Amino acid sequence: MMNRLISKPNRLTRRRAINALLLGIALFGIAAVVNRFERALMPSAFVTGIVLWLSLCFLAAFNLRKKLSFLPCLGTSAFWMQAHIYTGLGTFAVFGLHVGWRVPDGGLERVLAALYLCVGGSGIYGLYATRTIPKKLTQLRTEPIFESIPRLRTHIAKEALAIIESQVEHNQVLRALYYRQLRPFFENRRTLAYVIAPSARQARLLVNEIHKQDRYLAVADRDASKKLAQLVRERDDLDYHGAMQGRLKSWLILHVACTYSLLIIATLHGVMAHAFAGGLR
Amino acid sequence: MRRPARWDHPFDPNLNESLVEHLLQVAPFKQMDPDRFPPRIPLAGILRNDCRYLNCKPGEIIVREGGYGNSAFLILSGTAIATLQQLPSNPPKRSAEYEMGWWKALSQLWTNPKVAEVRNGQSTANPLNPARTKPANAASMFIQDLPRMLSAGHSAQLTAGEMFGEMAAFTRTPRTTTVVAAVDCELLEIRWQGLRELLKFDSELKRHLDLLYRTNSLHEQLQQTPLFAGLPSRAIQEIATTATFGTWGSFDWNNQFRIAQQSQEASEKILHEPLIVTEGDYVNGLILIRSGFARLSRQHGVGHRTIAYLGKGHTFGLRELYHNWKMKRQLPYLLSLRAIGYVDTIHVPTEIVEKWLFPNLTLEQTPPPIADGQEPLVRERRQQSREEPLETSLLEFLLESRVINGTQAMLVDRDRCTRCDDCVRACAIAHQGNPRFIRSGAIHDHWMIAQACMHCMDPVCMIGCPTGAIRRDEHSGVIHINDSTCIGCGTCANSCPYQNIQMVPIRSSQGEPIIGENDQLPILKATKCDLCMEQLGGPACQRACPHDALLRIDLTSPGPLADFLKGNS
Repeated sequence: MMNRLISKPNRLTRRRAINALLLGIALFGIAAVVNRFERALMPSAFVTGIVLWLSLCFLAAFNLRKKLSFLPCLGTSAFWMQAHIYTGLGTFAVFGLHVGWRVPDGGLERVLAALYLCVGGSGIYGLYATRTIPKKLTQLRTEPIFESIPRLRTHIAKEALAIIESQVEHNQVLRALYYRQLRPFFENRRTLAYVIAPSARQARLLVNEIHKQDRYLAVADRDASKKLAQLVRERDDLDYHGAMQGRLKSWLILHVACTYSLLIIATLHGVMAHAFAGGLR
Repeated sequence: MRRPARWDHPFDPNLNESLVEHLLQVAPFKQMDPDRFPPRIPLAGILRNDCRYLNCKPGEIIVREGGYGNSAFLILSGTAIATLQQLPSNPPKRSAEYEMGWWKALSQLWTNPKVAEVRNGQSTANPLNPARTKPANAASMFIQDLPRMLSAGHSAQLTAGEMFGEMAAFTRTPRTTTVVAAVDCELLEIRWQGLRELLKFDSELKRHLDLLYRTNSLHEQLQQTPLFAGLPSRAIQEIATTATFGTWGSFDWNNQFRIAQQSQEASEKILHEPLIVTEGDYVNGLILIRSGFARLSRQHGVGHRTIAYLGKGHTFGLRELYHNWKMKRQLPYLLSLRAIGYVDTIHVPTEIVEKWLFPNLTLEQTPPPIADGQEPLVRERRQQSREEPLETSLLEFLLESRVINGTQAMLVDRDRCTRCDDCVRACAIAHQGNPRFIRSGAIHDHWMIAQACMHCMDPVCMIGCPTGAIRRDEHSGVIHINDSTCIGCGTCANSCPYQNIQMVPIRSSQGEPIIGENDQLPILKATKCDLCMEQLGGPACQRACPHDALLRIDLTSPGPLADFLKGNS
């Protein structure tokens, strides 16, 4: 424990510390400006609003940067990601200052706040998901590409059918099990409940069921039974990959869609606020 | 469309028939028997299509130490100087010649075709990757103060009839010397494909080159080995005279590797690697790795545990030899040395090492002592190589999958990779909409070596290319394919042990496959990662990864990987 405390921090820990320090300085600066405005009895909402809007534009620009990966002057995507995370976290504080730490009362403002919370919330979830899901996927035996998962599922289903048709023609035990329980598993897609909360329960039950039949099988047919159990595990890994990789992709779609909606409404809100307040004094 | 063929694009379009006739009267070509060459590859055809005539001015750099060579040079007239002197300035790591401008880079966003693998219907040339032969007026680099450089020593004069650069071309390794024109020089540059045919059909040239190696290149190589660098020239002379050469494994090791990958268990694979030295053997000399890779292993249970791997310039047996010399006792070799793929070694006898090397060892070069009766620990061996240790299972994986050959392997940390495929998309944008790698590959723990060209130290893909379309960039070492000279034979794709080269059918901009005029079959082209050599910012894949999960890394020595792992742990 002591060694860990006094050992030199690694590259990622150093990066986190520097980014947090920079964010702290930036927030302190913004808070000081807001404080100064309020002491002078000037509305600070314009300052925080402009900071928020600019931050939002910067955060949305990350998607544009991804399209321009070949321009060296824009920096690496990893650098943008770090800036995106810490700027995004910083906007929570600025948003709080902007709305005065209370629920907005106007209709448009409420929609705007809800959208902001959607974007921020999906961002926080994304941060959590991108830090935890890859580690879960690494533990599996396969590493399929998302787009190839349907093809691999079909391949496994065909393999299972081939085992039943070729290896155990004379054995009705495995055949019956296959048509009763395994075939629906191999040939159907998983339910929405599985996609939302994937679990290996069904696969475990099926493997157990296959093993329970071993006592009724000839020694030669036990090989086929082992292969079927292996295919069940492979299919389950594949489904887990599909569900988790799908989750990693779908949260981003939600996050980006909410971001663009937020950007449009925030721009409208800014224009209206300035139009009716006569601009910055 | 007419199917592309070998010699469609001669190495030197300006080389005329009269010069070919003249060359046939010049040594070593006049000693060659044209009848030994098959009708489809005649000697005159090789000279006409695989050679280039060069005229160099005094002080002009012909080849540069450290640069990669795909060709050998024959001096037709004049004198050149081969020197080990460090040149005043190093060439840029990336070839500016290939890089596109800012506007062209940006315009990829809207000019990239919507269809995969589009090529111009008239010619198969890729507009971003045209045939590149050095034009007559190409800018050359000169040594300003040639007399001073020559007076500094470590240089040799090369005269008409002599050949140089052939070792780098053959062993697919960097050039070991710089060669500068001393006076006006006429040279014949023979590209590797032509040289290969000349050697294949004429045994005299092979003997001539072997002799050249022993008299010239071996001296240079010994002088460049840090252990021998401080020795006087007569010591180098004696070492060169007494040293014996060893060749282990097969030159085209890739075929055996592929078979072994499919058929053998992990514990069996190591047993098929040729043993250079067996643990427990009598110590009879120092072994210097001339080219290739070798595995250091020790018996562990009924198997063999990998301790480290050695590459070009590394030595084996120094510690045992030094112990025996110092203690006047006999200790056998403590580890086994096995060839991974194809390895060239130089064996320096014990008496020569004791006579010249040990009395001149610096404190830093002195190996750590071996306690009596105690075998050196794994850790000690690693300390000796002054590199951070890699864990054994990772070492075993690197060697088993032979990715140690990669100078730019694509390492993916699966614990950080969100499978977003931003890297694949960035690669596609940089290559006219066609990704040049597959995010899949050999896996160890949470690391994956993706299927992207690793720009190998020993690029076996180049061995069989009939046209020289796949070649190594002289400065950066990037292996790239010239689309216009690729005839789609698939030799490179079949040779790549890692399946990192894909053969693709090319299409017109309307998406229709381009087919050969005579056979009506689709025309194929070899494609692979070119490390974004035309792009301004370097490899797009690495720059596009938002999670720092992808890294292009040199695995030819354990150091960079160990440093990276240490930084992340």
